[in-house]
Amino acid sequence: MPPKQKNELYKESARKKDVRTSNIEAAKAVADAVRTSLGPRGMDKMVAAPNGEVIITNDGATILQKMTVTQPAAKMLVELSKSQDVVAGDGTTSVVVICGALLKKCQELLEKGVHPTIISDSFSKASAKACEILESIAIPVDMEDREALIRAANTSLSSKVVSQYSSLLSPMAVDAVLRVMDPARPNMLDLRDIKVVAKAGGTIDDSEMVDGMVFDQKAAKSAGGPTRMEDAKVGLIQFQISPPKTDIENNVVVSDYNQMDRIYKEERNYILSVVKKIKASGCNVLLIQKSILRDAVTDLALHYLAKAKIMVVRDIERDEIELISKTLGCLPIAHVDNMKPEKLGSAKLVEEVEVGKGRVVKITGIENKGRTATVLLRGSNKMVLEEADRSLHDALCVIRCLVNKRFLIAGGSSPEVQVSMQLAHWSKTLQGMESFCVRAFAEALEVVPYTLSENAGLNPINIVTELRKLHAAGEKYAGINVKKGCITNMLEGDVVQPLLVTTSAITLATECVRMILKIDDIVPTR
Amino acid sequence: MALSQQSGILQQGASEERGENARMASFVGAVAVADLVKSTLGPKGMDKILQSMGRGQEVTITNDGATILKSIYVDNPAAKVLVDISKVQDDEVGDGTTSVVVFAGELLREAELLVNQKVHPMTIIAGYREACDCARSVLESISFNNQSDPALFRADLLNIAKTTLSSKILTVDKEHFANLAVDAILRLKGNGNLEAIHIIKKTGGTLQESFLDEGFILDKKIGVGQPKRIEDARILVANTPMDTDKIKIYGARVRVDSMAKVADIEAAEKEKMREKVRKIIDHGINCFINRQLIYNLPEEMFADAGVMAIEHADFDGIERLALVLGGEIVSTFDNPDTVKLGHCKLIEEIMIGEDRLIHFSGVALGEACTIVLRGASTHILDEAERSLHDALCVLKETVADARVVFGGGWPEIRMAKAVEELASRTPGKKALAMEAFARALRALPATICDNAGLDSAEIVANLKAAHGAEADSRMGVDVVRGEAGDMAVLGIYESFRVRQQVLLSGTEAAEIILRVDDIIKCAPRKRG
Repeated sequence: MPPKQKNELYKESARKKDVRTSNIEAAKAVADAVRTSLGPRGMDKMVAAPNGEVIITNDGATILQKMTVTQPAAKMLVELSKSQDVVAGDGTTSVVVICGALLKKCQELLEKGVHPTIISDSFSKASAKACEILESIAIPVDMEDREALIRAANTSLSSKVVSQYSSLLSPMAVDAVLRVMDPARPNMLDLRDIKVVAKAGGTIDDSEMVDGMVFDQKAAKSAGGPTRMEDAKVGLIQFQISPPKTDIENNVVVSDYNQMDRIYKEERNYILSVVKKIKASGCNVLLIQKSILRDAVTDLALHYLAKAKIMVVRDIERDEIELISKTLGCLPIAHVDNMKPEKLGSAKLVEEVEVGKGRVVKITGIENKGRTATVLLRGSNKMVLEEADRSLHDALCVIRCLVNKRFLIAGGSSPEVQVSMQLAHWSKTLQGMESFCVRAFAEALEVVPYTLSENAGLNPINIVTELRKLHAAGEKYAGINVKKGCITNMLEGDVVQPLLVTTSAITLATECVRMILKIDDIVPTR
Repeated sequence: MALSQQSGILQQGASEERGENARMASFVGAVAVADLVKSTLGPKGMDKILQSMGRGQEVTITNDGATILKSIYVDNPAAKVLVDISKVQDDEVGDGTTSVVVFAGELLREAELLVNQKVHPMTIIAGYREACDCARSVLESISFNNQSDPALFRADLLNIAKTTLSSKILTVDKEHFANLAVDAILRLKGNGNLEAIHIIKKTGGTLQESFLDEGFILDKKIGVGQPKRIEDARILVANTPMDTDKIKIYGARVRVDSMAKVADIEAAEKEKMREKVRKIIDHGINCFINRQLIYNLPEEMFADAGVMAIEHADFDGIERLALVLGGEIVSTFDNPDTVKLGHCKLIEEIMIGEDRLIHFSGVALGEACTIVLRGASTHILDEAERSLHDALCVLKETVADARVVFGGGWPEIRMAKAVEELASRTPGKKALAMEAFARALRALPATICDNAGLDSAEIVANLKAAHGAEADSRMGVDVVRGEAGDMAVLGIYESFRVRQQVLLSGTEAAEIILRVDDIIKCAPRKRG
């Protein structure tokens, strides 16, 4: 090749280095932003949305999602925490922190002149090995063992604002998941079958799991309809009780005064006939789906329904229909002529209850209840409530992880230290660059105990070195007991977490790092 | 330039570049584009972030030359030619999109030097052409064909898939994905219809968890209260509005004088819908899949009849479904006898990640299959899909034309050697062009080495020596160990079609650009 080219090549690689460095810097900045929220003593973040709304949260995925980052590499980290949320639901902060630490190590390696693809390959090997190690120290868990599940949920909740209520929320999460789980097909577990209704007022202590169903909506009682119904027959309707409306545009032509009266009368008759049909089916509680085309139910209709002693809950969203029909064992009814008794669900009691400032409708004593669960969350203000909702979701996810992969590992960063130690050991059997990179990977994992102790106000260096020592001495469950501020055996302290959370955090973070490493240019496009 | 504007022949705002200037502009443009994608070549090639400047600032991360070139802004005519050939390469064979651009770029770089030495462009073109013919015949002679032996052929395919994937994000799991791709292609039994291979992307999990599923997976939901599992399904695939058959006359309206009549019309409309649903059910089906929405009323009717109804399957999905299930897409339901229904053994819901999907197994078209990709983020998934698509395309080509060559720069070195021998026998200035052609060929393995951070000059020289010493040496670039290695042992194979296409399109593109001596840019249209 002509010598001129060599020059060119050099310049180009200088630019590449810049792009890579700036990517890594950006990603690290994102990781640093959430770092302080890791662990039981982690701090919360206040996110002010452009529309003036304020969110206070400790959940990494939520923080990152609300931060509007524009740098492409930073965006990848946001995606990363989102996918951890999908896979495991918990550990969304850890995954970003691990990713940041790995990137930091990459930068050092790159400065030493290691080729990015070599780093990438070695990291992927290291992450596979890390998972192997984690599996080897995992403890199998039985789905019947409710206590163990509760302990895992406790660990997940311990870092949240609602941690002091974990004794209430954890059993709730466990019971909800166990109720939804189909023992025959446990891998079909869908968390959407758990309905969480959040209602401001009261304290989190007042939260409860409802044996039945709760609607956020009030009973419609503007026309004086009943708000309590025993031995209820519940109808879930998708048609509207309002004056008829055709799909073709229609005009009612009124030519004289008499006609107007007649039209009123006809409208009344029409609605009355609908209400009669409903009544005839034996239905006494109506759940009405929201309609955008026309009024789902008019005041006039409410009036008639009230007279017929039918309780009405309106504004049911279409996406809720499936859950409702599953829970109540009823079928949605799309036309008034299809109002048949066999499509109704039956329950002992449907009543409107006062909850704090607002009211909710509760359905209890459902016959043939499907595999769903409802949790009524309470909290003193909206922010606490939202955070409680997110925390509960995390706890639910943790339990789901355990259903999918029935292994627990110790918490309090003990698995990370163990993996780090074993990887460092393993790296000695490797050769050349690979060994060097695996070693760096092992060191990067120590960021978890380091951050955890830092956030807890402990001396990170003391703690990390102490942990190393203990693990080297064979204490593979030693971890940081943040509450006591010392190192203890995590299994004895009942700090456990699902295996899936940690393995997926490590594999996902590695995948993301490898992707960032391989990028050498940012090209603007259309 | 100034001259043309003064002359006033061209419209204001238009410009013209002539002779040396024009040639210079096209060389610079083409070489710049080639250099842009150069660093993505080979197993140690790097990726690029494509950042959209439009709204949303979407980010794509890719290693695929065609994708990069397709999305960049190009304002140089010659550069556009290169973008085009990469697109053509993508359509024709699906892989080698970077190679072809790099090769054309190298040819032009060499041509520029020759032009500076006062060689006429036409002479260069003549030389390139002869060299290309020679290279092509060499490529044909060194290719080999194992189609007669299924086991060997499968091994070839696996190796090809692995080679293609090695430069992509899937490289770590290439063993896994190569198997996936080969299985998927072999299921097609040579009919080359990639439509039957459906790729679904779901975030979460790792790439390793991706799998091939025999059958078809649809990312939709089953209606409320309907059976969630059907055996021996008879399926009607339709594209019909299931809200109401609206009278499609603009401004059609009815005038009535009472509410009761409005109610009557409504009832009539509903009745029409019922009639339609009845007709559909009368086809003797137990599963109905519609491209459009299915509203509450028909949904309930289907539920009552125990028919599984799936709404809002998108266009792509519906066509593929029709193909896979062996049915046809229906939009009128008056003649149940003539309608071809789709069949499959079992329909059930499965769970991937957090989502429920519908799984059709035992479908009529036995070749059909679905590849479910899992990965940490949408970026990874998108790139994985592109990579897998490349691999599938290459495999498809290979199944059609089973000739195979070694990879790792091996064919280029062989061709370069033959072209150089030809040059030494050719009198006149053409020989210079041929030598340049040989150098351009060698630039491909050199680039692979450069990207891996290896000493390209040394390795290419070693390769040259190895091939010079032994007529059928199988040495190529072994990127992993950073030296010349035996390609057969390393299992680095490539499709003959891809290499041939790279050679031909690259040469052709270079020729087109070389012929240019005048660039006229029309005045931009005035936007008011």
